[in-house]
Amino acid sequence: MDRYSILFSLLKIVVVLLFVVNTAAILTWGERRQSAMIQDRIGPNRAVVYLPGGLLKVVSIVVSFALVGAVAWYAWMASKRPLAIRLDANFALSELAVLLSWVGLVAARGAARRRGETTGVGGTLARIADARSIFFVGLVAHVLVGVVRASASETDAGIAAALLQIGPFVLAALLLMAGVAGVLRVPSGKVGIRLGGTLHALADGAKMAFKEDFVPPNADHLLHALGPLVAVFPAFVLIAVIPFGDTLCLIPDHTGHFWTDLFHARIGEIAGRMYSPVVPRYGVCTEGAIPLQVANLNVGILYMFALAGTGIIGAAIAGWSSDNKFSLLGGLRASSQMVSYEVAMGLSLVGAFMTYGSVRLDDMVRWQADHAWGIFVQPVAFFLFLAASIAENKRVPFDAPEGESEIVAGYFLEYSGMKFGMFMLGEYMELAISSALLTTIFFGGYALPFLHRDGITIAFGDSVSYHLRIAHGLVVLLGVIAFYVKTWVVCWAQLFIRWTVPRFRYDQIMKLGWRFLLPAALINMMLTGLILLAIREGGPGLSNALDVAGDVTQALVFLAGVAGVIGLISSILAPPRRRARSISSSATFAEAQGGTKMSPMQA
Amino acid sequence: MSKGANGEPMATQSDKGIIGKPVPRPKRVPSSQTFVPEILKGMKVTMKHFFRNAKEVALQQRPDPVLESLEEGVTTVSYPEQKRPYPERFRGLHRLTLRDDGSPRCVACLCCSTACPAQCIYIVPAEYPEGDKRRGYERFPEQFVIDELRCIFCGYCVEACPCDAIRMDTGRHAAPYDSRDQFIYRKDLLMAAVARDGSRETANRRPEPGDPTHPGIARDHIH
Repeated sequence: MDRYSILFSLLKIVVVLLFVVNTAAILTWGERRQSAMIQDRIGPNRAVVYLPGGLLKVVSIVVSFALVGAVAWYAWMASKRPLAIRLDANFALSELAVLLSWVGLVAARGAARRRGETTGVGGTLARIADARSIFFVGLVAHVLVGVVRASASETDAGIAAALLQIGPFVLAALLLMAGVAGVLRVPSGKVGIRLGGTLHALADGAKMAFKEDFVPPNADHLLHALGPLVAVFPAFVLIAVIPFGDTLCLIPDHTGHFWTDLFHARIGEIAGRMYSPVVPRYGVCTEGAIPLQVANLNVGILYMFALAGTGIIGAAIAGWSSDNKFSLLGGLRASSQMVSYEVAMGLSLVGAFMTYGSVRLDDMVRWQADHAWGIFVQPVAFFLFLAASIAENKRVPFDAPEGESEIVAGYFLEYSGMKFGMFMLGEYMELAISSALLTTIFFGGYALPFLHRDGITIAFGDSVSYHLRIAHGLVVLLGVIAFYVKTWVVCWAQLFIRWTVPRFRYDQIMKLGWRFLLPAALINMMLTGLILLAIREGGPGLSNALDVAGDVTQALVFLAGVAGVIGLISSILAPPRRRARSISSSATFAEAQGGTKMSPMQA
Repeated sequence: MSKGANGEPMATQSDKGIIGKPVPRPKRVPSSQTFVPEILKGMKVTMKHFFRNAKEVALQQRPDPVLESLEEGVTTVSYPEQKRPYPERFRGLHRLTLRDDGSPRCVACLCCSTACPAQCIYIVPAEYPEGDKRRGYERFPEQFVIDELRCIFCGYCVEACPCDAIRMDTGRHAAPYDSRDQFIYRKDLLMAAVARDGSRETANRRPEPGDPTHPGIARDHIH
């Protein structure tokens, strides 16, 4: 596996760097876009690339044909395998077909309503009063497909297997329809592609690269250039120790179908041939283990603390070397804030280390997968660490180092062009990394409730009530997706803090750090120690009860997740409450009068 | 006690001090001192706005606040794509007007650079070579430099010019260049600039001696 290990190391580095840099770029857009949605005002939308409509039509049809081809290939590959594997493949494709159906129907209903169609299929769709009914029918269909799969016999083909066989054809037909609909919907002229405004971040990056790089005449040129580099460096290296997925075991089996079997095989021994790389729940494979983590350091989180602190040196020397009093103040504030909050940040997590029994981040995730998520066992530490990490990132409400109203822009006041861009990128990368760290330590990292290395195991305490073996590749893939989704949700929540909380005054920052966070972290640490001692002395009864309690929290997380997704979709699809609009502003008044005249300037 | 305009007692600082409704100081309760419950309360408010707006935008029951600004008829001008026309007499970037033969009308009298309050015009006057019919009669600018970053666009140079040689009728504003050097406009650039109607001359022709439409112009008063 040696030749693979180097390849995989490079691949992992590329994956995490792409993730963190792209997340940072999208966060710069998302932050403004979110504020536009909160405050009902304009946001980033300017950047646009014009493409000819004919090209987009071709792309639409080519993509749909390619997807149909992929579905056909997958179904064909599966059809040559034993029945159980074929059932699984058809089951996955059927679920996808159901998903695509109801999403497509909801979209088509909306389009028909906007066009005011009354006849034909569009008219029928438009007459559906509540879009939620389509979603609920879709949910029932999802469950039905699952029931059909569960009832299908894995030894001889029956009616259930035949029903599942329909799935791939429906999916292919839907993909073709989507392609044709794309061709019909795209206008022929040039079409502006804005990608929801995300091109704005790209345009900003291009702008910064070509902007004048201004250095104040009396600045210390070396340190002025070094500042942004030092500030952005930790953001690039911090992500290395965060595990973004479970350890991948590459087990070559003698069928030779190395990659395909990793994903869609689920059943152990079939007809005497080993199809299934289902791995045991505990322990890591001895051969071909690929940890999905760039550097599995035994100091783990201490590396994070050490390097996160160095980022502030960049801000400090940037402030000092800029030859500007405001910059100097900003640099001073940044460094004093870092000194104050680094202590509370480290101490707040000591309770978590004691509970998890390790400072390695992958061990923390494994502990959480086996017991309960960190937010349940260390809730105080979560809030302390969240506050301290926001303060370390110098984000609102701890953005005194760059407080616009007092010291203009603080330490990066005298920076322009890509040097400023590096400060900006560094800040958003640190936001992404702190979200990834919060996810890893408090939200179970890549772990999903009841999903373990050998598949789904629903168990409370020692009594296993349900067990389903799942292919190792699929388990790891689900974990990676879960980690990134969780990280994005935490990022999203952190952006909300930025739009909600006003900036602390400088003395309030110091007071909060030294007189509240630090004692609270110490008390949390001592209480955690006492409780851990009590659990150790409490005997097997207590630890069994705690295990059951941990499994209950996993069930709660699972139920909350499912309810959250269903609630979110159905609340978005719910028909609007008609709000009485009073003619209060001149704009609504003019609208009621039948619009406004063009001003001479616009005419 | 003095009375106000409509008969109510009007408090003055001398008799009652500052009056007003007493507002109690917010109590220092744990929920506000630990910030967490208060921040969660605030986040509830912002999230409520976010989800309501996101829902209505997703269902297209209201225009997307971001994309709405791109539509026609909105007061906001989407600048690079749409441009609001400048007024007729807008003072834009400078141009040097030309004579019929393409040489600058400027005679390097330094009136404009003298009148300029921002001192952004730099002129090196030069004599025409020996034998030129304009030699001794007028000079020409060997260099004519305007720092468009220093310029305050007051138009005094245009007012001061006795020859109608400098004008600010290009209708253009300074482009966003990527370095300060590019804002230094030299003679060739200023002469290449055109008025809004595309002309390099002015409405006031400056006939040369020998022009049949203006007989009697001569350069015989040699200094």
